[in-house]
Amino acid sequence: MAATRALTITDVYDRFVKGKKVSVDEWDYKITPENLTALKEKYNIKFEADKIVPEDKDLCNRLFQAGLEMLVTVGYYNQDLGRVMHVTEEEVWEGIKKTPTKMIYGEGKDIARFYPRHGNSNVKPIIQGGPTGSPISEDVFVQVMQSYAQEGVVDTLVNGVMTTIEGHPAKTKTPYEIRATMSELRAVKEARVRAARPGMGV
Amino acid sequence: MLAGWTTVGDMIMIEQMPIFGGYTGGVEETAICDVATTLGSFACFAGNFHLDGPIHIRWGVTTAKETLQVAAYAAAAIDQNTDLLLANQYYPMAGPCTEMCLLETAAQAIVDTASGRELLSGSAAAKGVVQDKTTGMEARIMGDASVATCGMKIEDVNEILNKLVPSYEANFTNAPAGKTFQECYDVKTVKPTQEYLDVYDKAVQSLRDFGLDIKH
Repeated sequence: MAATRALTITDVYDRFVKGKKVSVDEWDYKITPENLTALKEKYNIKFEADKIVPEDKDLCNRLFQAGLEMLVTVGYYNQDLGRVMHVTEEEVWEGIKKTPTKMIYGEGKDIARFYPRHGNSNVKPIIQGGPTGSPISEDVFVQVMQSYAQEGVVDTLVNGVMTTIEGHPAKTKTPYEIRATMSELRAVKEARVRAARPGMGV
Repeated sequence: MLAGWTTVGDMIMIEQMPIFGGYTGGVEETAICDVATTLGSFACFAGNFHLDGPIHIRWGVTTAKETLQVAAYAAAAIDQNTDLLLANQYYPMAGPCTEMCLLETAAQAIVDTASGRELLSGSAAAKGVVQDKTTGMEARIMGDASVATCGMKIEDVNEILNKLVPSYEANFTNAPAGKTFQECYDVKTVKPTQEYLDVYDKAVQSLRDFGLDIKH
C-alpha cells in the first residue's frame, strides 16, 4: 500500500508512544538475534573470508533486501520508553526519496561536494579530519584541530571533546558542559582560520 | 533535538555503530543489522547522511577484519540500491606516531573507499579514549590511502587487504600506545616532528610494498 508521506520526527514520536511494550532483554536476547539469523538463512547471506570488500553484486542486493526486511518486520526499539515502533517498506522508500543526495559542506572556496560516488569511483570521498570525539586538552584544542585543517587532503573537520573549560571538568549535566561545547566550536573556527581555510565545513 | 534541527534546516548526520560479536552475532548478522539501522536513519529520523562505525566487541576498534567486512558489505549493499550518502568513522588500536596506527587507518580508508562510501571521518587513534592521542597525521594517511584506492579493481583491493590487515592484527594484544599530540608536534608552530614524518614515510613504503600505489 502506498505511503501517505515520508515519516516526520513527530510521526515517529507518536508511533513510539503508542508502540508495543517490549523489555530490553526480550529485544536484545530474542527478537534481534532470532530475526537476524532467520534473515541470514532466508537470503543466503554468507561472506567469504578473503573478500573483505564484496565482489558479488547479487550477494549485496540480497543483503540490502535482508536489511530492509529486518527494519520493516522488527522495527525500532526505544529503550527510554521500552516500546517498539514500526515502519512500512513504502515509508522507508518515501524517506529515501526525500533524502537529499547532493549537499555542499562548507563555504566559499573551501567547500566540499557531498555527492554519491557509487562503487569504487575515481572520485575521492570527502576526507573529514579530526579526533572524532576523542578527549582533547583545553590548552591544545586549537592546535590539534589546526593539525587536521592544514592537511591538504582533508576537506572538512570533525571535532574532539574538550575535557575541561577554564580548568573545570566538562561534566555532563552541568553548565560547564555547555560552555565547553561552545568553546569547542570557537576553537574549531580559529583552527580553520589559522590553516587559511576559513570556509571549511565543520 | 531532531525536531529543532529539521525545522531550521541543519544538515543532519545520524551516527550508529553496530557491535560485531554482541547481540547481533557474526559478520553477516551484524551487516544485516547495519543495513537496517542505516536505512532507518533516513526513513525514521530525517538523516541527511549516515555515519557508520562497526566496532569489534573484543578489541573496541573499527579496523579489525570482521568490522571492516561488516562496513564494506553494508555500504556496498546500500550503495548498489540507493543514492544515499554514507560515511564511516575510525577507531584504530594503536596510538599516534606508530606504523601500526597508520596501517590500520589506511586499511579502513581502502575498505571505505572501495565499497562506495562518500565520507571518511577520523581518526580516533588509540581507540579514541586516551587524552590527546590524535593528530592530523592520521588523517593524512586516511586521505592518501583513499586517493590511491579510488578506481582500483575490487579484486586488487582485496589482494592488498589480505596482506595488510593480518600485518597489524597480529599485534592487537600488544599494540603500541603511541605518543600524545604534544609529543608528535611542535605545539607552537603546529608542525609534526621529524620522528613522526619518518614513521609516516615507513608506513607509506609498507603500503606500497603491499601494492597500494601512493604517489606523493
